[in-house]
Amino acid sequence: MKLSTFLHPIAAALLATAVPACAADKGPPLPKDLPPYSATKPVSAPAVQQLKLDNGMEVWLEPLPGFPKVAFSLAVRGGYDMDPGNRPGMADLLAAVVSQGTKTRSAQQIAEQFQAAGGDLTATASPDSIVLAISVLNDKAIAALSTIGDVMQSAAFPDQEVEIAKNNAASSLQASEAEPDFLAKRALYRSLFGNHPYAVTAPTSDSIANTLAADLRAEYARRFRPDRTLLVVVGDFDQAALTSAIRQTFGSWKSSGTEPLPAVAKPAPSLTRAMVYVPRENSVQTALYLGTLGPKRSDPDYAAARVANAIYGGMFGSRLITNIREDKGYTYSPFAQLAPLRETGVLVTRADVRNAVTGASYNEISYELNRMATTSPEQQELDSAKRYLNGSLALQLQSREAVARLLATLWVSALPPDEIGAQSRKIESVTPEDVQKAGQKYFPAARMTVIAVGEESVIRDQLAGFGFEFKKAE
Amino acid sequence: MEISKFIFFKCACARLVLLGSLGVMHAVAQHAGWNVPVAIKKLPNGLTVVISEDHSAPTFGVCVSYGIGFRLEPEGRTGFAHLFEHMMFEGTPRAPKGTLDKVIEGGGGNNNGDTRYDFTEYIEAAPVSALDPILWIEADRMKTLDFSPANLENQRKVVEEEVRVNVLNRPYGLFFAIDLPGKAFDTFPNSHNFYGEFKDLDAARIEDVQKFYEQYYAPNNAVLAIVGDVNTPDLFAKVEKYFASIPSRKTPPRPSLAEVPQKAERRSVQTDKLARVPAIAIGYRMPERTTRDAVAAAVTGELLHNGQASRLYQELVKRKQVAISADGGLNWPLGNPFEYNGPTLMVSFVVTPPNVTEDAVIGAYDAAISDLAKKGPDTAELKRIRAKMRSDWYAQLEIPISRASLLSHMVLFDGNAGRVSAIPDEIERVSTADIQAFVSKYLVPQNRTIIYRAPEAKK
Repeated sequence: MKLSTFLHPIAAALLATAVPACAADKGPPLPKDLPPYSATKPVSAPAVQQLKLDNGMEVWLEPLPGFPKVAFSLAVRGGYDMDPGNRPGMADLLAAVVSQGTKTRSAQQIAEQFQAAGGDLTATASPDSIVLAISVLNDKAIAALSTIGDVMQSAAFPDQEVEIAKNNAASSLQASEAEPDFLAKRALYRSLFGNHPYAVTAPTSDSIANTLAADLRAEYARRFRPDRTLLVVVGDFDQAALTSAIRQTFGSWKSSGTEPLPAVAKPAPSLTRAMVYVPRENSVQTALYLGTLGPKRSDPDYAAARVANAIYGGMFGSRLITNIREDKGYTYSPFAQLAPLRETGVLVTRADVRNAVTGASYNEISYELNRMATTSPEQQELDSAKRYLNGSLALQLQSREAVARLLATLWVSALPPDEIGAQSRKIESVTPEDVQKAGQKYFPAARMTVIAVGEESVIRDQLAGFGFEFKKAE
Repeated sequence: MEISKFIFFKCACARLVLLGSLGVMHAVAQHAGWNVPVAIKKLPNGLTVVISEDHSAPTFGVCVSYGIGFRLEPEGRTGFAHLFEHMMFEGTPRAPKGTLDKVIEGGGGNNNGDTRYDFTEYIEAAPVSALDPILWIEADRMKTLDFSPANLENQRKVVEEEVRVNVLNRPYGLFFAIDLPGKAFDTFPNSHNFYGEFKDLDAARIEDVQKFYEQYYAPNNAVLAIVGDVNTPDLFAKVEKYFASIPSRKTPPRPSLAEVPQKAERRSVQTDKLARVPAIAIGYRMPERTTRDAVAAAVTGELLHNGQASRLYQELVKRKQVAISADGGLNWPLGNPFEYNGPTLMVSFVVTPPNVTEDAVIGAYDAAISDLAKKGPDTAELKRIRAKMRSDWYAQLEIPISRASLLSHMVLFDGNAGRVSAIPDEIERVSTADIQAFVSKYLVPQNRTIIYRAPEAKK
């Protein structure tokens, strides 16, 4: 494969009028007989019907008749940010066991009922939320909804299931600690966020061992409440019948008192240049991660920072990939991404490079970052990045599951469905000056926390000349 | 090449039943559920074109699949089919390196390529406004390439980094995908390391690239599938405009891929310098794709491995707690249970907790297989897996780029685009007795290979 898992950025509804790809730039001219792009057809942003039940639960519906499937996504506000201080990452266990038994159904019965509907429920904890998702056949959607309702309201956290999940989580953590990307991401987030809850990327072995079934039941009661839950349904359904089934399933769900959302502080960007390494014996590559805080979705800089990121390293034709892959052959799958959390964004560059070019790769990445920070983009790069980002959105909107997930993610950040179209229009209006400003603000290499996972001696030798103070990850 | 859990999709049937030269057939398969509209046409140069309209979004997906994969790469050139795939993105005399991405991404789209045992595919997705330039790009690289030694050198390095990131620097090193077929099969086409030994990658010359291109990258060895917000007659006209002038070429005859039947269980042990917990890979040789047993094999693979309700998850992870995960299936992980065209395995990849022995896992695994042979799935379980497989199948047909990929492989193997709509019904027809018969005949020790891979002892 040319490049595995590439990022698919999020926003947009109306594509720009496409300009034939011919604007001047430094590369060779486009072939003379290459046909031009034709007129762009507008992409409609999802037309979402919003309901609010009396108990405060929100429901977003997007009926899409035709293709015979229905995607459900349920977001519950509060993820790692609500975990008790001595149980970091406990939300993972909550997500793992929430579907493993209710007052009336065993774990196996739940799995079988979902399979009978054509689906398999996933539950994923993240810094700000826990999201449950499943896609099923259209004629089984209402049957699946009833089991989803049971999981959301009556999960039992049976002792035996909690025990299995804890053992599995402990072994999985051990297995993951062999993976360079797991180690790099954990070290990066710990370095960027310190004591902030966003430092957590996974539970620790202590938090797994110390979490009891009773803790999970208490957390479930605290977090799984109608007034902090969104249900998104996208696909081929009868709206009246589904709405009625939703009211029947969730209408009597009650929660007692109020449970405020955790007050997640705005993370403070670290302006000191840090270099943290994770020794990993027998590594034949160094996994380099460079990260810094960036804008969150609602930040006025967000669209410009996304365009800047696309030009820098967020698409295949970007500067970084052209340089360290297509020119120098240092790496297979470099990429750069702006990952939005509720209270901040995280701008990350990643490249796995053979040991011998660790220093050379860092040098080129720094160069490309600093180029973003110091120069204005070419018009052709800007046009291409904008069309790429909005085109990616149009492609993302093809998938019912992806639309449901995107809508749930927006809601977690307290943004409305219209944000999809709004982001697209903001991308359209980004100017070269906006990109350069975002570059100056977020991209200087000296602003990055650098993580290197690999052979310690290689990292020390290869990165010796850059003036870092080497710090070993805890 | 991506080894995430492959959700399955895809095909099989007779050998190329291509339609008359310019005849167009609109095949709408007949399930009460959901049918995929397809039109198929063969150009005089042998290029088969498949179109499926879908107007739910103003986008489209394209897949060009060539009838060349790992199996047919030359001995002494392991990994060459995949290295070659990379060269297809390195420019042509008319569209130099960099043009392809500029045109596709600048049109709001994305692109990729995949090499598998029996095909190499090139895929793009974009807003429909980029349809013409993308067809032009695909036609252009079907005519010739920029056979540049410098670009070969560059992509050799990139591919070696790909092997490092996916194999050499990764725990388990894809042993369930590379080493398992290596032990399970005896002939070069089916058993060699498809990612390539570095000495073979290093030995590749630009003349090899040129020769491979001339042998296999001919229009008559390719299927072009286009899905999305298009008009079929207009699109056939466009395709003729861009592709009809490409001359057909003689392609090498297909060699025999047959294996001598396996006689005894094959077991081996490996150590892993990077992994922290042990894992086991089990591979059973499968019936030929076009037999009735093959559909029973596909269903059995899903009964065993598909999701939290599956037998292996319930038995190994939940009841006996000898595993932390149990993935696999027929033709896993490099494709779905319906898209292979030669000797293939049903694979199980089981990761275990640190203190669980190989015997404990194999014991629990064998008990699950033996239960399936004795009792088979009951009516309720069979109904569930049919629903799940139908739903997974549809998921492969939802997005234009993925539907194009599926259609192109089906047509490449059998010339039968309509089978995309027929597979859920074929699955419905598999009975409890079919599964019991399949399991008793194929899922037996003398038909399998097992590799146990444990972390290297700490010094």
